[in-house]
Amino acid sequence: MAYVHPEVLVDTEWVSKNPPNDNRKLVEVDYDPENGYRKGHIKGASLIWWKRDINDPIARDIVNKEQFQELMAKNGIKPDTEVIMYGDFNNWFAAFSFWVFKYFGHENIKIMNGGRKKWELENREYTTEEPQIDKTSYTAKEPDEQLREYLDGVKKALDDNNIVMVDVRSPKEFTGEITAPPEYPMEHAQRGGHIPGANNIPWATAVNDADGTFKSAEELKQIYESKGITSDKNVICYCRIGERSSHSWFVLKYLLGYPNVSNYDGSWTEWGNMIKNPIEK
Amino acid sequence: MSHDFPILKKGSFYFIKDGENYLIMEDKTKRGLTVKERSIDDKLNVEAEKGMIHDMDGIGHWVPIRWFFPKKQYDLGQVLEHAEAMEKKYNELRELTCPDDDD
Repeated sequence: MAYVHPEVLVDTEWVSKNPPNDNRKLVEVDYDPENGYRKGHIKGASLIWWKRDINDPIARDIVNKEQFQELMAKNGIKPDTEVIMYGDFNNWFAAFSFWVFKYFGHENIKIMNGGRKKWELENREYTTEEPQIDKTSYTAKEPDEQLREYLDGVKKALDDNNIVMVDVRSPKEFTGEITAPPEYPMEHAQRGGHIPGANNIPWATAVNDADGTFKSAEELKQIYESKGITSDKNVICYCRIGERSSHSWFVLKYLLGYPNVSNYDGSWTEWGNMIKNPIEK
Repeated sequence: MSHDFPILKKGSFYFIKDGENYLIMEDKTKRGLTVKERSIDDKLNVEAEKGMIHDMDGIGHWVPIRWFFPKKQYDLGQVLEHAEAMEKKYNELRELTCPDDDD
C-alpha cells in the first residue's frame, strides 16, 4: 500500500540534489526562527515565520487573501511555482503553512519528510546566508472553506454521526490534566479537557520517532481506522492552536487520501476559553 | 534526581535542596519544564539545568530551572541570598500583575 498522494512529499536527499530555481522555491517555516532559520538553514531557503507571516498581525486569524498574496510575492512565488516546505518542530508549522497555501488554492506544494530534524540527523549542511529573491506578482484563489472548520461548525458536529473529531494533542492535554506544557505559557485555556466525542490520536503516532518521517501508509491506516476514523466520514482535526492538527490533517488528506478532512485552527485555545462550551474530561 | 534530595529551605518560589556535592536551588515557577541542557548560568556563574520557554511570538528563551552550587565554594547562607533575591523578584512581579486591592 502506497500513500494516496505521494507527490506531496520529498525526502532530504531529493532536496539536497534539487536546489531552488525560478520555478521551484524552498521555504523554511518556523515557529522559532531565532533558534531555527537564523542559526542555519538549507541553502536557498527563504523564511516564513509562522507568527509574523501566516497570521494576521492583530486579530486571531490566518492571513487574508491580500496578505497571502503579498507573502507569496515577497518569497518569489508565482501561482505555478513548485514550493518545497520544511521547518522546525517536526514540520508542524510547515504543515500549517501547507494547509494555508492549499486554502488559498496554491497547487504545487511538497513537504520535506522529516523537516529540520532529519536534515540535522543526517549532518547535512546549513548556511546563514539569505537568498536574494525577486519579488513576483501573485493572485490567490478564493479560500477553500472545505479545508477549514470554525467554532459553529464544530458545535454542529457534536450532534452529527457522520462527523468524527480527532484531537491530536497529548493524552495529558486530552484528559485535562494540563492545558499546555510549561514551555508554552501563552497557549493555555481557561478549561482543560476535550471536545465531547473526540478521539485522541496524538500527532506523534503518525511519525517515526527516530527521524520524524511519516509512518507507512499501512501503519497510518491501522492507526486511524482502529479508532473509527475512516475515509467515509467527515473528519475534523484540532489541537491547541491548529498547527499539530494541520500535520494530522496532512496525513489524513494527502497520505491516506480521505476526501473530507478539515482543520479547526481555533482548536483548544478557542474551545476551552468559550463560555458554556461543553467539555469532556 | 534533584527532587529526591532533602529540602533544606523553601520559599514561595524556591527550594534549596541538599545534594551530594551541591546545594541545589530550584525555581518553582519552572516546575515541569523539560531540561534541555546543563551549562554555566552567566548570571550566577554556577552550573544550571536549563529549559526553553516560548514567548508570544514563538521565540524560545533559555531559562535556568535549577542551579548547582558546589558545597566546596558555597554555604547555605550564600545560596539563600540568591534564593531570596529570586523570591523578591517574583513577589514584585506578582504585585505588578495582581496588585492587592487593599493597597
